[in-house]
Amino acid sequence: MPRLRAPDFEDPFLRIKRRRLLTIAGLISFFLLSVFICIFVGTMGPIGPGIPEPISFRMVFDILLGREHLWPEYSEIVSTIIWEIRIPRILLAALVGCGLAVAGTAMQALFRNPMADPFIIGVSSGAAVGAALAGLIGFEAILGITAQPILAFITALVTVFVVYRLGTIRGRIYVETLLLSGVAMAAFLGALVSLMIYFAGQQFHKLIFWLLGSLTLVSWTEVLIMAPAMIGGAFVIFLFSRDLNALLLGEETAHNLGADPERLKKIILYMTALMTALAVAFTGIIGFVGLIIPHIMRLIVGPDHRMLVPAAALGGASFLIWADAISRTIIAPTSLPVGIITALCGGPFFLFLLRQRKLKGEAR
Amino acid sequence: MKIEIADLTFAYDGKKVLKGINLTIKEGEFLGLMGPNGSGKTTLLRCMMNYLRPEHGAILLDAKPIHALKDAEIARLFAVVPQSSPTDFSFTAYEMVMMGRIPHSTNRLSGESRADADAVRSAMRRTNTWSFVNRSFATLSGGERQRVIIARALAQNPKTLLLDEPTVFLDIAGQFEIMDLLRALNEDGLTIVAVLHDLNLAARYCDRIALLHNGRLEAYGTAEEVFNPENIARIYGIEVIVRRDPLTHAVSTIPRISSIVAPMHGTRVHVLCGGATGGPVIKDLLDAGYSPSTGVLNVLDSDFATAQDLHIPIISEIPFAQVSEDAHTQNLKQIEEAEIVIVTDFPIGPGNLKNIEAAEYALEIGKTVIIINPQTIDERDFVVGRAKALLEKLLKSGAKDVKERAALLTLLTERLKK
Repeated sequence: MPRLRAPDFEDPFLRIKRRRLLTIAGLISFFLLSVFICIFVGTMGPIGPGIPEPISFRMVFDILLGREHLWPEYSEIVSTIIWEIRIPRILLAALVGCGLAVAGTAMQALFRNPMADPFIIGVSSGAAVGAALAGLIGFEAILGITAQPILAFITALVTVFVVYRLGTIRGRIYVETLLLSGVAMAAFLGALVSLMIYFAGQQFHKLIFWLLGSLTLVSWTEVLIMAPAMIGGAFVIFLFSRDLNALLLGEETAHNLGADPERLKKIILYMTALMTALAVAFTGIIGFVGLIIPHIMRLIVGPDHRMLVPAAALGGASFLIWADAISRTIIAPTSLPVGIITALCGGPFFLFLLRQRKLKGEAR
Repeated sequence: MKIEIADLTFAYDGKKVLKGINLTIKEGEFLGLMGPNGSGKTTLLRCMMNYLRPEHGAILLDAKPIHALKDAEIARLFAVVPQSSPTDFSFTAYEMVMMGRIPHSTNRLSGESRADADAVRSAMRRTNTWSFVNRSFATLSGGERQRVIIARALAQNPKTLLLDEPTVFLDIAGQFEIMDLLRALNEDGLTIVAVLHDLNLAARYCDRIALLHNGRLEAYGTAEEVFNPENIARIYGIEVIVRRDPLTHAVSTIPRISSIVAPMHGTRVHVLCGGATGGPVIKDLLDAGYSPSTGVLNVLDSDFATAQDLHIPIISEIPFAQVSEDAHTQNLKQIEEAEIVIVTDFPIGPGNLKNIEAAEYALEIGKTVIIINPQTIDERDFVVGRAKALLEKLLKSGAKDVKERAALLTLLTERLKK
C-alpha cells in the first residue's frame, strides 16, 4: 500500500464512497454471475459429467425462458431438474452462505476474536442433538421428514438461550463468559451426540451426512422459509454496522461513542442465533463459511463493517453456491457433503490471501 | 453547560470506590482530576459517562440527571479520550475519527453524510492529523494515535472532553504536544476534565485541581492551593518541597526520597555552603540521621530555600549583602554546637569569604572539618587567590578533603563508628 502523505485538499470521503459502490457492484455482479453459471452445473450437465444423458446449453436457456416447446425430445424431467431442484438449491446455498458469513462477521466483532464463528455460542452442537434425537426416538414416524429440521431448530435455540443466560449477569452480557459457556456447552453436547451415534450404529449415516453439512433434497419451501430470516437478519446487522466498528474498540469506548453496547450485543445475539439455527436446521453444519468468509472479505475490503457486512453477505452467498456446484458434480452421480468442499477450498485460499497480505507488509 | 457531581457514591461489589463526591465543573474550565492509584479517578469519569451507575447521588448537567439521557445524547455532550486504544485491526486514521460521528447518525441506512465528512476533516485539521488521514491507525506513533483519538473526540462535537491519563504512554515531547493541544481547545471554549498523574504537568495546564483520595474529594482549588507539602504528604504519602517552575511560575513539586534509611542519631553537622551546592549535602545528612544546620546564607540563595524547605536551622543574611559581623558571630556559635563542619564547593567572593574564616575557627576549636572538592577552587575563587590560600591552609592544619558526596558519607560513617 502506498504510504504517501495525502495532499491537504484531498478528502477521502468521496473516494471511500466511490470505492464502496464499485466493490458492491463488483460483488453483486459476481454473485449474479455465479447464480447464472451454476444453473448449468449438475450431474446431467451441460457443465458436468452428463449422466445419464447430457443436456445442452441451448436447452437450459430455452427452459429458463419458458420455450421448452422448441425441443421435440424435451422431457418434463429436465424442466423439473432446473426449476425444482437446481434453482432452489442454488438460492438456498446463497441464503445459507449469506447468513453464515454475516453471522460470523458479527460474532467476530462481538467477541473481538478472530477465531469466533456463528457456531461459537453452541448453535451447531445444540442443533446436532435435535437432529440426532429426531432419528433416535422415532419422531420421524410422527412428523415425517420435517422432524429433523424442526427438532434441530428448537434444540439450537434452546442451547443458545441457555448459553446466553449463563453469560448474562445482572442484565449485562459478559462476552468472555458467553464465549467460554458456548465452548463448554459445545463440548458437552458434542459428547451427547457421539454417545447417540455410538449406540445407534447403522441408521446414523443420514445424521453423519447432516453433520458434515449438505444442501441435498431442498425445495422451494425451504427457500421461502429461509429467505426472510437470512435477508432480514443480515439487513438488521448491516443497520448496526457503524456500531460494530465501535464495538471493536471495546465496550467502554463503544458506550462512549453512543453505540449502546448492551442493546447492540442483544441484537447481534438474537439475529445470529435465528439465522444460524435456521441454516443449521435445514442444511446441517456447514463449517468454515462463517469463519473464513469474514476474514477473506476483511482482507479485501478492510475492517469497516459498513462495507464488510454487505461484502460478507455477497461473498458468503457466492462462495457457497460454487462450493455446492462442486459438491454435486465432483463424484457424480452422488454428491459430496458441501461442508467438506468449503473446508477443502476455503482453507488454502484463505492461507494464500493471508500470506500475500503479510508479504506486502500490510498491518492486520 | 454546568456539570454538577452531587453526593456521588459508587461501589464495586459492596466495596465503596467513591464516597460522597461533590464537585461543580464550570463551563470552559480545565480541571485536573488527580490522586493516587486506586483513588477513584477513572471510576468518577466512568460515572460521568453513565458507563457506571452510581449507588447514590447523581451527575447533573444543567440540573438534569445524566442517567435520564440516552448513550448517543451523552456522547454528543461528552467525548472521552482513553489512555490508549487497541491496534489489533486495520482501521485507518480517517475511519477511527469517523467513529466519532456515530452519536450524530440519524439514518442508519444512509451511513456517513457530507456533514460527517466535514466534521471529521475539521477535527483532523485541528489536531494536525490530516496529513496521515489514510494511514493505518496501528502504524502511527503513540503521540499521533492520541491526537487521532482527540480528533475522534472533537468529531463528536462535544461540550466537554473527558481524558483518562491521555499522556501516560507518551514521551516528554508527546506529553507537552497533547497538553498544548488541550489548552488550545480549552481556549476555544471546550471544557476539559483530565485525569493526570504528573503534578507538574497539571500545575502548568489546569485551572483547577480536584485531588481524590480513597474515594473522597480531599482538596479542590488552584494548583497553588492544592499542591502543598502537607496535602501531598497526606494523600500520596511522600515528602516533597514545592517550588515555582522558573519558566512559567507554575508550582513545581520536587520529591524528597531517601535511598538510605538510617536511624536518627542527631549528630550535629554544620554545613558552610551557598549557590545550590549545599542542598544535596543537607539532604544526604538528613537521610543518614544527622542534624544539619547551615549558614551564613543570603535570603534568596537557592541553598537558603532548600534549607528552609527541609526545616533545618539557618544563619541568614539579607539578600545580596556581605556577611555581617552579627551573622558571622551567630555562625560561629552554631559551629561551636556542632561536631563536624562541612565546607561545600561553593563559589567564594568578597561577600561570603567570612564563611571560610568560620571554617578556620572550627578547626582551631577542635572540630572535624571536611572540605568538598578543594581541587576546583581555581574555578570558583573570586577573591584573587585568597580563598585558595585559605583552603590550602585549612588542609595543612588537618582539614579532611573528599571528592564527592558519596565519599563524604563514607567518611562520616567511619567517623561515627569510632
